[in-house]
Amino acid sequence: MDIIQLSWFQLSIAFISLLIPAAILGYYKTGLNSKMLIATVRMTLQLIFVGYYLEYLFELDNAWVNLAWIMVMVIVADFATIDRSELSRKKELLIPVFAATFFGIVLINFFFLELVIQLPELLEAQYAIPITGMVLGNCLRSNVIGINDFYYSLKENRERFQFFLSCGASRSEALYPFFQTALKKSANPTLASMATIGLVSLPGMMTGQILSGSSPMTAIQYQIMIMLAIFSGTILSVYLAIKLCNRTVFFENDMLDESILKG
Amino acid sequence: MSSTPLLEGRNIHFRYGDEVIFENFNFVIHKGDKVVLKGESGSGKTTLFRLILGFESLQQGDILYQGESLKNPETIRNLRKNSSWLPQDLNIGTGLVEDVILFPFTFQAHKKIKPNQSAIEATLQNFGLTPDEILQKSYSDLSTGQRQRIGLAICVLLNQPFILLDEPTSALDHDSKSKAADLLLNQNKRTLLSTSHDPFWVERCEKVIDLNP
Repeated sequence: MDIIQLSWFQLSIAFISLLIPAAILGYYKTGLNSKMLIATVRMTLQLIFVGYYLEYLFELDNAWVNLAWIMVMVIVADFATIDRSELSRKKELLIPVFAATFFGIVLINFFFLELVIQLPELLEAQYAIPITGMVLGNCLRSNVIGINDFYYSLKENRERFQFFLSCGASRSEALYPFFQTALKKSANPTLASMATIGLVSLPGMMTGQILSGSSPMTAIQYQIMIMLAIFSGTILSVYLAIKLCNRTVFFENDMLDESILKG
Repeated sequence: MSSTPLLEGRNIHFRYGDEVIFENFNFVIHKGDKVVLKGESGSGKTTLFRLILGFESLQQGDILYQGESLKNPETIRNLRKNSSWLPQDLNIGTGLVEDVILFPFTFQAHKKIKPNQSAIEATLQNFGLTPDEILQKSYSDLSTGQRQRIGLAICVLLNQPFILLDEPTSALDHDSKSKAADLLLNQNKRTLLSTSHDPFWVERCEKVIDLNP
């Protein structure tokens, strides 16, 4: 059972569905229609670009080129994490977040690609690129939630942190409750989606596999694996990102360098 | 010859932007002193606490803790291991009151002095709180007066040699004030530095440091 190939004409018909949200958002004067237009154009162009690029990447299928592409994805994710966490693009943050994300991805990739899937060739593009992309996209979302919560909560509750220090806590002991909350907040969305997956929604990757002809059982096996990769990867990268950033964003007197915060 | 003061401020200058808080300010606090800081709002009472605890860095001058400069982070950490501070906004924890009370005893510095249930209950009762009722409440649901008493109870349980209290009786009734004064001010070896507008508390402190220019 092969997938029905979409022509560009058929795809363009799909855009007609946007008339519905455009009408609703326009009626309530949400001002979101121009945003929707920009987002749609960006999405389409970015994906067309990636499509061409991946076709080329798959044809080449060279571990070094694939690694270089993963590096590019991590660098983009690094800047996006800092920006969306409302933090300043300072090297004190960019370097640790990059290191945390990269290390997290390498570890997760090695584990799942080499030990679970057991790829015949290192970093085979067909597997390495989509799986890295999915894990990285989720790491980005969790990192943003975790890092933003950690540093802004520390600012908002400065006196609580200082109270702990004044009672003899080491810096990491005083940061413990803030770490706890940040981890909870960043883990919750993935845990919630793990708990409802298959019942409320069919995940994108699984849908894609089924559409392209895989059996549903193969699709769910990959989906289970990817959910595990995503959860392990996100928690690892949030933990590492905050741990590594904390080495550079505190003064000697244990006070947070609040110039890293934008808000 | 007198012994080394517990704390000594020398020629402290401090400003926030253009606002001068301290100019050539000096003070001495000896071990066992019960001190209250006097001064109008904005005179630098809380800033002095923050300088002593190392939350603000000294701009000019120095503060010595047992003869060692607080410019050295090690001295700051040593001071903090021997102190407890109750901030005025009482934002000292989240979750159940029991967890708020016990959290400081998870620190390496205080693990060995973790109080047992009966010590916690006795201290709470001393402040007019009913342990069974309050320990399982959420700290965020407490009134300001209850929070203040929980904060003071933590200071009593930690039993540190140096305690800093920012307006410790502002939300207390007379009985609780009297208990707080008995529990915190009646120990000869303990040094206590406080700010207060409460005549009852000021009267019980034996030394006043005037921050008004």
